[in-house]
Amino acid sequence: MNRYLKLVHMEIHRFRYVLGSLMGITMIFQISALIWQVNSKLSMDRETAKQFPESLFSQISFHEIVFSIQFWFIIPILVSIAVLSLYVFLIWYRDWFGRNTFIYRLLMLPTARRHIYLAKLTAILTFVFSLVAFQLLLLVIEKLIFNMIVPADRIQSSHFSDVIAANQAFKELIPRAFDQFVFSYGLGIMALIIIFTAILIERSYRMVGIVYAALYVFVCVFAVVFPLLSLGIDRSNAYLYPEEIFGIVFGICAVLLAASVWLGFRLLSKKIAV
Amino acid sequence: MIEVKNMSKSYLRRHVLKDVSFTAEKGQITCLIGINGAGKSTILKSIMGLSPIKKGQILVDGQPLDKLTYEKVAFIPDHLTMPLGMKLAEGLQFMADFYTNWEPSRAEELMDFFQLDALEKIGNMSKGTAAKYNLVLGLAQKTEYVLMDEPFSGIDLFSRELIAEVFSSHLIEDRGVLLTTHEIGEIEQLIDKAVIMQKGTIVREFNCEEVRSAEGKSIVDVMREVYRS
Amino acid sequence: MKTGDGWDEVTFNNRDPVYLQVVQHFKEQIVTSKLGAGQVIPSRRELGALLKINPNTAQRAYKEMEEQQLIVTEGNSPSRITSDASILHTIRSELLEVAVDAFVASVRKIDIPVEELLDLVKVKYVEERSTEIRSDAGGDKYD
Repeated sequence: MNRYLKLVHMEIHRFRYVLGSLMGITMIFQISALIWQVNSKLSMDRETAKQFPESLFSQISFHEIVFSIQFWFIIPILVSIAVLSLYVFLIWYRDWFGRNTFIYRLLMLPTARRHIYLAKLTAILTFVFSLVAFQLLLLVIEKLIFNMIVPADRIQSSHFSDVIAANQAFKELIPRAFDQFVFSYGLGIMALIIIFTAILIERSYRMVGIVYAALYVFVCVFAVVFPLLSLGIDRSNAYLYPEEIFGIVFGICAVLLAASVWLGFRLLSKKIAV
Repeated sequence: MIEVKNMSKSYLRRHVLKDVSFTAEKGQITCLIGINGAGKSTILKSIMGLSPIKKGQILVDGQPLDKLTYEKVAFIPDHLTMPLGMKLAEGLQFMADFYTNWEPSRAEELMDFFQLDALEKIGNMSKGTAAKYNLVLGLAQKTEYVLMDEPFSGIDLFSRELIAEVFSSHLIEDRGVLLTTHEIGEIEQLIDKAVIMQKGTIVREFNCEEVRSAEGKSIVDVMREVYRS
Repeated sequence: MKTGDGWDEVTFNNRDPVYLQVVQHFKEQIVTSKLGAGQVIPSRRELGALLKINPNTAQRAYKEMEEQQLIVTEGNSPSRITSDASILHTIRSELLEVAVDAFVASVRKIDIPVEELLDLVKVKYVEERSTEIRSDAGGDKYD
């Protein structure tokens, strides 16, 4: 347990600059878009006021501004997603390739090798959740900035859930309903574990392993998607109720998850080659 | 004692190792000799569980490999195994964090002996310095066995001399050492036992002093016999 | 024991057992008085480092020397060169015999009367010793 935590710390430490940069990019994009948008709105209102003075008293709400600059908010989020998706592979492959082969050291640590797997998994999840948390924090800061630069008498208060709803990406990343949250992130974690196991298959069997890994991923996807389609979740005359079909799929996911983790641990302890 | 029994390994139907058996005793320096590609490194990696074997058995003091073996056997590969972004001192700290057998005083002694700068980045070291740092990482663990892969290859003369000095010091004393080399050169007098390999098999395994006594042959003489026949 | 006292220049050949070469080296050091009777010798660890050999080999050499009663170890104190004059004398004659044997073997090929050979040896030997003494004396002056 102790060594597992040390490994997690090590993995996070190695990614700290990238993670920091992603947060920095997000902050710069969003805050500058916000300030720019508010300022142009205010100056536009002053223009309009020459003809229609009442526009100087129109209300401005934070969530409307966020809605109007969605694009600039989403770009850094997409960049973060792309970088993290790439790092899911790199977190393993960087230890094999290059001038140093850190995987030698990792595999020779006097600890169960599953800790290496779990540490990398934990690290990725930590990155995801810390970026999401950072985004939430950033929204609070952005609202403060908004309150500072917009004249107090023109601020129309907006609810936090309206702000979330104002951006497509926020709606997906920060679901309002808890079961939706569990569903999205559960599916994400499962995909992550399946990819990890596929990487380990490739690392264990090399050239032939690529075929095995592709096959494995295909089987996993098929096992989840096929029952949904064949049992007719989209048909009203299906034999089973939608809840029952979801139950079956949930069961399949649980089995896949357990099998993937088990296979990953086993490959790492018995089959992996440096 | 490290025992390798009937070990075989193949990759894409090609034999990498074929029925390899030998032992490396504690308190002795055993040397795997063979040209590049003979399978020496693969043997070391297999002993450390870094490369799975198809057939055979590897025992360390009668026990099969498990996680505790890594506190008992240290492996010094022929290249760096630490993230390049770390400083040397951070690498040592990493080792201290994970290995209960790590001896900080010994690490310090070795860093001084090799004149390494703890504040340097691992990625900035030259090949000779990297080899020395690898030795620090391996030898500062208080293990009973040390495996070294080509500790002398591709390194300047003075680094080689310095590394050879380690072999006749208390840092090696009483441990079992298993090293590989493709040129026996300056370590001829250092080793107790030679295991000569060719194309994934072991062709001779002998005690060096015995062969000198009984046959008046040097290790190079025996190698010449093997490779010319 | 300082380093450089006849330890640095030891070179081994690869065909004779290293431990026997170490024993031989000790004998030469004794005969040339670089090691005196009763003198403390390095530990096996120190010897290994001095001669750049494996400590096992050093250990084996010491064992051999103990068997030949060349060195003595009492209890926990460090090993010393024996003080037994008869053993030291035997080493001297043994080394001399080996050297003479080698000399005879190489000279044997040249057909030469023994008197002529002895005369030649005498002249050469006296000459060699006198230069040696001179250079030793000269060396002392500038030390």
